[in-house]
Amino acid sequence: MLKIFQFIVDWSEVWSLLIPIAVLLLKKQPVGLKLVVFYVWTALIINLAIDMVWKFRTILPAAYNSNNFLYNLHSIIRFYLFSAFFIHLNQPFLLILKKIIPVFFTVFIIINFTFYENFFDYWKLSSRLLSTEAILLLFYVLQYYLFKINDNAATRITTSDFWITTGLGIFVALNFFIFLLYNELTLRFQNFAISLWSIHNISYVIFNLFIAKGFYESGR
Amino acid sequence: MNQGDNEITLMLVIGIVAMLMLFISLLLIFIFMQRKKLQYRLNLQTLQNIQKNQLIEAAVRSEEIERHRIAEELHDEVGAILGSSSLHFYGININDSDETSKEMYQKGKSLLDEGIHKIRGISHNLHSTILQELGLKEAISHFCGKISHSNVIEISLNLTDQHNKKATQNDISIYRIIQELIHNIIKHAKANLIHIQSTSKNNNLIFIIWHNGNGLTQNQFEKLRYIKDGLGLKNIQNRIILLKADLAFSYHSERYFIKITIPEIESINRQD
Repeated sequence: MLKIFQFIVDWSEVWSLLIPIAVLLLKKQPVGLKLVVFYVWTALIINLAIDMVWKFRTILPAAYNSNNFLYNLHSIIRFYLFSAFFIHLNQPFLLILKKIIPVFFTVFIIINFTFYENFFDYWKLSSRLLSTEAILLLFYVLQYYLFKINDNAATRITTSDFWITTGLGIFVALNFFIFLLYNELTLRFQNFAISLWSIHNISYVIFNLFIAKGFYESGR
Repeated sequence: MNQGDNEITLMLVIGIVAMLMLFISLLLIFIFMQRKKLQYRLNLQTLQNIQKNQLIEAAVRSEEIERHRIAEELHDEVGAILGSSSLHFYGININDSDETSKEMYQKGKSLLDEGIHKIRGISHNLHSTILQELGLKEAISHFCGKISHSNVIEISLNLTDQHNKKATQNDISIYRIIQELIHNIIKHAKANLIHIQSTSKNNNLIFIIWHNGNGLTQNQFEKLRYIKDGLGLKNIQNRIILLKADLAFSYHSERYFIKITIPEIESINRQD
């Protein structure tokens, strides 16, 4: 029973994306959500590759049986797509800061992977990259709520962007410290680190459920 | 586990809990504030609607008072003068007059009679004493009887007996709506067959008017009601709001239908 549960959790990064994709197939999304739609499809491809590499690591050549760089790639793509999503939300609040953050993130990636870390590190994913991405996305989420609180227009609370933002907020809030300490944890107690990744996977399922709800709310 | 391992685990747990708490707090504040804003907007809208209805009511009531005043002036003042003129006119002896004078006398007499008749008609139209004294059913029957003409236009009625014998403020509004609609049907739709039916169902008074002219569908009505020139339709709409009623236009079986659903007075009062 526990094995089945573990199997489901292990593959959750792939099957959970099929929930919003199922909604996408039923309901056409407006232009405003195109970036999220693109993220869902891209994430499906990357996560499928991550899990395939993990499952077939024994038969793959040694140089190609690490999926850590795919997590780094997923993190970068997720950040750019969601920061663009928040910038295009038509919220005239902290506009300059919102536009500067992706530039800052780009500089950070270049410096970090040129001088400090290896993007294709065989043994570990980049804790620094993933935690920076999480905290920056959390900033976008918080500024979304602050704008809505200060906004005079009283609109419906449960809009599609609300569901997507809340899902992302739960995901990054839960995972920030996991990402931050993940490299350290894998060095000190590997089993705990692996089981901790299940929290990440469960939060990813929640994130996808919220995205699906967002797609459902806005779809025609 | 050494001291360092404990610290890192503790830091992780506290970190995750703190982040979640922060996020959930902000989310709850956000939801609370949004709900408060929505509630405020809803209250404001309700207040605006009440004010709007009060304004419409005041406008409709003052229009009624003005109609009453003009009708009275016409009937009591102008009507009395014309009636007196008529008496004097009839008193003129024209036996000794020539043919031209006799013809002019006859023409004058008929014009004076027509004038008296018209003044009476306008006065009754502006303020129906039949409606006041005999109620809505009789007033509508009388109004339709007056304008229907077997060769030009035929109006048939099938009205419920449940209309009050004594007209209420709402009956006046209903009467004005029917009056305006019939005028529109004759003037714009060029119908020659009109049927008016009223029933009382589930605390609602329902009027159905159908005709064979070139009438309006719901879409056409929605477009016309916002046109500045459409004073008649605007008046109908104002009275419909005042009555908390519903007005629906449709076309089927080669006939145009107008359905007015009016909540009966007790249910309107209960809502207030």
